Amino acid sequence: MARMKFLCDADRCIECNACVTACKNEHEVPWGINRRRVVTINDGRPGERSISMACMHCTDAPCQAVCPVDCFYTTPDHVVLHSKDLCIGCGYCFYACPFGAPQYPRVGNFGSRGKMDKCTFCSGGPEPDGSEAEYVKYGANRLAEGKLPLCAEMCSTKSLLAGDGDIIAAIYKARVEKRGYGSGAWGWSTAYHETIEV
Amino acid sequence: MLTRRVSSVRRSASSPSQEPGAAGLDRRGFLQRSLVLGGLASLGELPLGTIREAKAGPPPSAGAPVEIRKNICTHCSVGCTVTAEVQNGVWIGQEPSWDSPINRGSHCAKGAAIREIVHSDRRLKYPMKLTGGEWRRISWEDAINEIGDKILSIRQQAGADAVYWLGSAKFTNEASYLLRKFAAFWGTNSVDHQARICHSTTVAGVANTWGYGAQTNSYNDIRNAKTMVFIGSNAAEAHPVAMQHLLASKEINRGNMIVMDPRFTRTAAHATDYVRFRAGTDIPLVWGLLWHVFQNGWEDKEFIRTRVYGMEEVRKEVDKWTPDEVERVTGVPPEQLKEVARKFATEKPATIIWCMGATQHTVGTANVRAFCIACLATGNVGKPGTGANIFRGHTNVQGATDLGLDITTLPLYYGLTEGAWKHWARVWDVSYESLRDRFDEVPAKAGRPARSRKENMETPGITSTRWFDAVIQPEQDVDQRSNLRAMIVMGHGGNTVTRMPEMLKGLEKLDLMVVMDPHPTTFAAIGNRKENTYLLPIATSLETDGSRTASNRSLQWGQQIVKPAFESKDDYEVMYLLAKKLGFADEMFKHIKVENNRPSPEDLLREINRGGWSTGYCGQSPERLQAHMRNQSKFDLVTLRAPKDAPEVGGDYYGLPWPCWGKPEIRHPGTAILYNTSLHVKDGGSTFRARFGTERNGQTLLAEDSFSLGSELTDGYPEVTMAVLKKLGWDRDLTADELAVIQRVGGDNVDTVSWATDLSGGIQRVCLDHGVMHYGNGKARAIAWNLPDPVPVHREPIYSPRPELVSKYPTRPDERQFRMVNAGFTVQKSAVDRGVAKDFPLILTSGRIVEYEGGGEETRSNPWLAELQQDMFVEINTRDAADRGVKDGQWVWVFGAENASKTRVKALVTDRVGRGVAWMPFHFSGWWEGEDLRSRYPSGTDPVVLGESVNTLTTYGFDPVTGMQETKVTLCQIRPA
Amino acid sequence: MRCVCRLLPALAVLAMLAVALVPAARAADPMTGANPTAQSVNERDLLNALGKLQGRITIPDGKAATLEQPQGREYRSFHERVLPWLAGIIILAVLAGLAAFYLIKGRIPAPPRDPGGRTVLRFSAVERLGHWLTATAFVVLAITGLNYFFGKRLLMPLIGADAFATWSHWAKYAHNFVAWAFMLGLLVMIVAWVRDNIPDRVDIAWLRAGGGFLDGSHPPAERFNAGQKLMFWGIVIFGLAISVSGVLMLFPFALLDINGMQFAQYVHATAAVLLIAVILGHIYIGTLGMEGAFQAMESGSVDLNWARTHHSVWAEKVLAEERAPRAGRPGTPAPAE
Repeated sequence: MARMKFLCDADRCIECNACVTACKNEHEVPWGINRRRVVTINDGRPGERSISMACMHCTDAPCQAVCPVDCFYTTPDHVVLHSKDLCIGCGYCFYACPFGAPQYPRVGNFGSRGKMDKCTFCSGGPEPDGSEAEYVKYGANRLAEGKLPLCAEMCSTKSLLAGDGDIIAAIYKARVEKRGYGSGAWGWSTAYHETIEV
Repeated sequence: MLTRRVSSVRRSASSPSQEPGAAGLDRRGFLQRSLVLGGLASLGELPLGTIREAKAGPPPSAGAPVEIRKNICTHCSVGCTVTAEVQNGVWIGQEPSWDSPINRGSHCAKGAAIREIVHSDRRLKYPMKLTGGEWRRISWEDAINEIGDKILSIRQQAGADAVYWLGSAKFTNEASYLLRKFAAFWGTNSVDHQARICHSTTVAGVANTWGYGAQTNSYNDIRNAKTMVFIGSNAAEAHPVAMQHLLASKEINRGNMIVMDPRFTRTAAHATDYVRFRAGTDIPLVWGLLWHVFQNGWEDKEFIRTRVYGMEEVRKEVDKWTPDEVERVTGVPPEQLKEVARKFATEKPATIIWCMGATQHTVGTANVRAFCIACLATGNVGKPGTGANIFRGHTNVQGATDLGLDITTLPLYYGLTEGAWKHWARVWDVSYESLRDRFDEVPAKAGRPARSRKENMETPGITSTRWFDAVIQPEQDVDQRSNLRAMIVMGHGGNTVTRMPEMLKGLEKLDLMVVMDPHPTTFAAIGNRKENTYLLPIATSLETDGSRTASNRSLQWGQQIVKPAFESKDDYEVMYLLAKKLGFADEMFKHIKVENNRPSPEDLLREINRGGWSTGYCGQSPERLQAHMRNQSKFDLVTLRAPKDAPEVGGDYYGLPWPCWGKPEIRHPGTAILYNTSLHVKDGGSTFRARFGTERNGQTLLAEDSFSLGSELTDGYPEVTMAVLKKLGWDRDLTADELAVIQRVGGDNVDTVSWATDLSGGIQRVCLDHGVMHYGNGKARAIAWNLPDPVPVHREPIYSPRPELVSKYPTRPDERQFRMVNAGFTVQKSAVDRGVAKDFPLILTSGRIVEYEGGGEETRSNPWLAELQQDMFVEINTRDAADRGVKDGQWVWVFGAENASKTRVKALVTDRVGRGVAWMPFHFSGWWEGEDLRSRYPSGTDPVVLGESVNTLTTYGFDPVTGMQETKVTLCQIRPA
Repeated sequence: MRCVCRLLPALAVLAMLAVALVPAARAADPMTGANPTAQSVNERDLLNALGKLQGRITIPDGKAATLEQPQGREYRSFHERVLPWLAGIIILAVLAGLAAFYLIKGRIPAPPRDPGGRTVLRFSAVERLGHWLTATAFVVLAITGLNYFFGKRLLMPLIGADAFATWSHWAKYAHNFVAWAFMLGLLVMIVAWVRDNIPDRVDIAWLRAGGGFLDGSHPPAERFNAGQKLMFWGIVIFGLAISVSGVLMLFPFALLDINGMQFAQYVHATAAVLLIAVILGHIYIGTLGMEGAFQAMESGSVDLNWARTHHSVWAEKVLAEERAPRAGRPGTPAPAE
């Protein structure tokens, strides 16, 4: 069974935000919900790097652990998904998430943020694959169609990789060996408790 | 990498027995019914049922088939294929275009959001007219009738030149061609488009160096480069998808990526060398670089000997640019420039990449000439991985330029000479005289002689950068029958020209303003017009079909993805309706099929093919282009060539990059790399064009000991006419049909029929068969004697931050160009005399951000993009900000050096810009000097994000060769608001 | 607008690193001549140096500028390990202690009733309203609050995920809205009782005597004995801590960043657990533990003799005032009759 992961090669990311709008396009994500975003470190100085970040679908996911209603589940592909029917919008997953992935429709009076929304690795939710109900709540289910997340598929420089962890790690490793530098597999040690040694 | 998801989805972990969908709905229903808390509920925003709004784009509904349609992204010139899923006429999804060798599935923010642009509810929905300052809906029929009547009456009072036709780089090739033809039938040369303000200087400078004014290689070919030098290009934001090829070059070849830019851009962040220099000193920089090249003997002597004319003249100029003087003028330390020079000249292949950072200057043409000369001096042109890689701006800005949306030429660079007009009259099957008689006679004015219709027909029109000057300046100063009275703007923003305060005066004075666009554009909101203003809703490029020429000269055929939304019509239909109203439709569409008022783009392309010999637009038939789109996966990533045995497209380069010679039937593969002599001409090889004669000052202008692979002529040779063909004895190879056509074209003077005017294609075919390039085998010109500065020389910007350098490096004297006076010298002198640089101590330069495009109305109306950039801003250096008490994110006033202009924008305090430099993006409009104009847009069509336009602040300054405006160097001051 | 970027320590550290790495450029601009690729940041070094990664974003949501915050790990371990154990142990220990006390000592009996059947007003209507408002709110908040971490462990297995989610959803709203009632009640109680809860000498003696709980004696006490004062101050301190941290959580990220939000939760949960422990003792004494105490908060009046026994100093004061009534002194109720 594949172990799905994301990897952003910051030495290729140019902050073009294609991943961000591809996500909006594929899932019709409304204004204010940013399932994926690009953060620029050291902006405007030599050494500047941009990193595209979304839910990393962690091993032993912290969001899943802290959820008071246990609305998260991990698929056999190790995609961390959640049920919006169960979610109560408490916001704990945001506090626990190392990557700021969970999003809420409202900032909310008195913490009523609405149902949490986050990257699904383009694989929907608990509803039947490709159903209207699934689309309305979670967006498209590309994985069920044998496709990978659109953000990575549309990445302008092939910086953002999505797919089986071993395969994308091998791609990244080969790249770093070829070009001779790499700023690291961002988020991997935190999300997967492993890094890619080159 | 693609892994199919095997297992079925897991149900809600702890309620496996329940039917999940139903359970969810029931529970939400229950909750909604229970919402009796009233006041509390509103307090807590209780509506629990809504997870989020389901908009357009659900998964395909069962039954109806999903069709895949391909078009081309309109937001830059890379030429990314857009793959659309269409069901029941609705564009429901976008998939990666894996097969395209250009984008290989990728997009940038704009391309990945392009579906929304078609669906946008902020589009102009029906024709509108300004009556008493209010927008009113009118019918298409009334709109065309009223507009037609009005321009006919203007024509009667003020002549054909009183109406300006501004086209678009988002047109297809066919629409571009059509508008140029339309202007010819209307009787004016004042027909222009965005190339004027993006790469007109490139086209002029590059064509004057070696023949054609276009990118010599391709995005894909840069994968071969060992050294890339970016000057005035921020590809990461302007051409993001190109970056995958550029970074591949950097990574796979462990190449040098050298970024020379006043601003530390997103591209610079990935460079191996970053060189910061003062804006507007490109020529000293390049001459400084060449100084090291010549000093160290790094130049390619053999290349210069065989293929370059006049390098000695350049050396004389370069000798003046000693490292010390270069550092004084540009700010670049000598040792650093030497290192860059060494890499560029010795770590080959090397290429120069440039964009508007180089072109939008009063010395734009000279800048690009200097870059070309650097390529020539080091032998970095005409081979894989080398060349002048010019990244252009819109989908089809290259094509629209080629097809003559230009005040100086008919389609495909034939110019405006009698021969050119006669050539196109033959192609159009109309009489030369009938075209000539549509032009104005210009009376003698202000000491200038009168112009006959014929002379006026051969006189370039007014540049789009000066249209408002032609409205507001005294009539005797405008060198045509009368002032400009009407603007017909098709797909062109209103915030794209410099000196907007003056543009506003022109806008208000116009008798008629017609905006044809999917969006109302800045023109609709700005200024104080009350009447005689029309907005016509035009289909987006994705709602129409036709070919588009990417920056690398590849033509791609885009399919209509969905029918035009609302009451929109596409460009073809509108031009036909107008032509019909104006009374020349029958003549104009003589050989073009028109169905339901819509001319067939295929037929238009066939007509282009029939006349496009000069630039090799003759071989790309619609059938061949459509076959390429079907077979995208067959083309090689690096060479762009399909294997010889591939069905339909065997041996072709992707998109038949022009020049693609001869008739489509001879199956020329196109030219992926220009001037590449290591290939046979039938495989896309070519030589420098012998365009400028054969000899000058006793020196040959023809190549020496250099020729394309397999050529039967093994030295330089001039361009081929019937006379030359006869001399070679190759006229015997012409078929009887070809000869008949040539005789018909030549009449009494068959010998003068050339490869470019031979409508049979016979001369080209025969030459190719002999391995000879019919346009000749010349030398590239290091010295272009027909340009104002034959060898580029440094000239300080009009508003120079270094007034002490102006006396040594002044701008060119005032001169009349394109019917207007270019008073740059006077303005520069006055600025120095008045000490403008003291009051406005910061250099203001402008540029692009990745989320928006051009004037930005379209992209700022797209919420997916608008969310990414909320406010117009100015980048200011941390130290300059500290000096002024400006904090990051606060509102500031930026004051311009002319017209007491000012803009209210947010400060972005950053070291991206150096000290003394401020940078602003050019995509914003809808605010004017602090005032929000949102209410002026027709209701429901205002873009999501509005902001001040940088061009409110930009100032005087025009390139003498093309009328290009100066957007990259002016002066400003910043104060907290 | 490229969003406002906080002046990050990250930038400072990196800038220093960068400057140190760039060969001393002689140009005025330290950037020129840079090799941005060679100077590229490295995730691991950055995280080691800074502990949290922040950068510049352009979207409106300022929180998104935090790229990585491994502190989520500590939050998780607090929420999933520390808190349930802490809460479980403390609550069970208090309950066990009270049960033991009850079993060993039994109920503290009320003294014989005043022969004349005289009563004194111990708590005014406003005070009682404040008390019961707070008390009811507290019970709701405690239950719904504990649900946030005990619910899925104890309740969900019993009623299933969907029913539990529905319950939790309403529990969350109850928690968020009832919180205001709690804070209002808390405010009333503080205003009403703070004066009578200022510690003094009598309290020292009372404490020395251990409140008489062990030997059954009744050391002198004012309106509130030292035990009650301790309770009061416990409620005030924990209550305020809960309120402040709670309000900050009701308006997430209004004032705090992600780490601040996590800290607010630590404070909120810890204070709440401790308060629950204190209140359990309070409930015990007010109901089961001491005869006659409940009546004070129920009707407001207590038997005079009960008052003399448990709050001798106060009772005498009340009686003295009764004899020489003065113009209503706030906080000291007028006699019942």
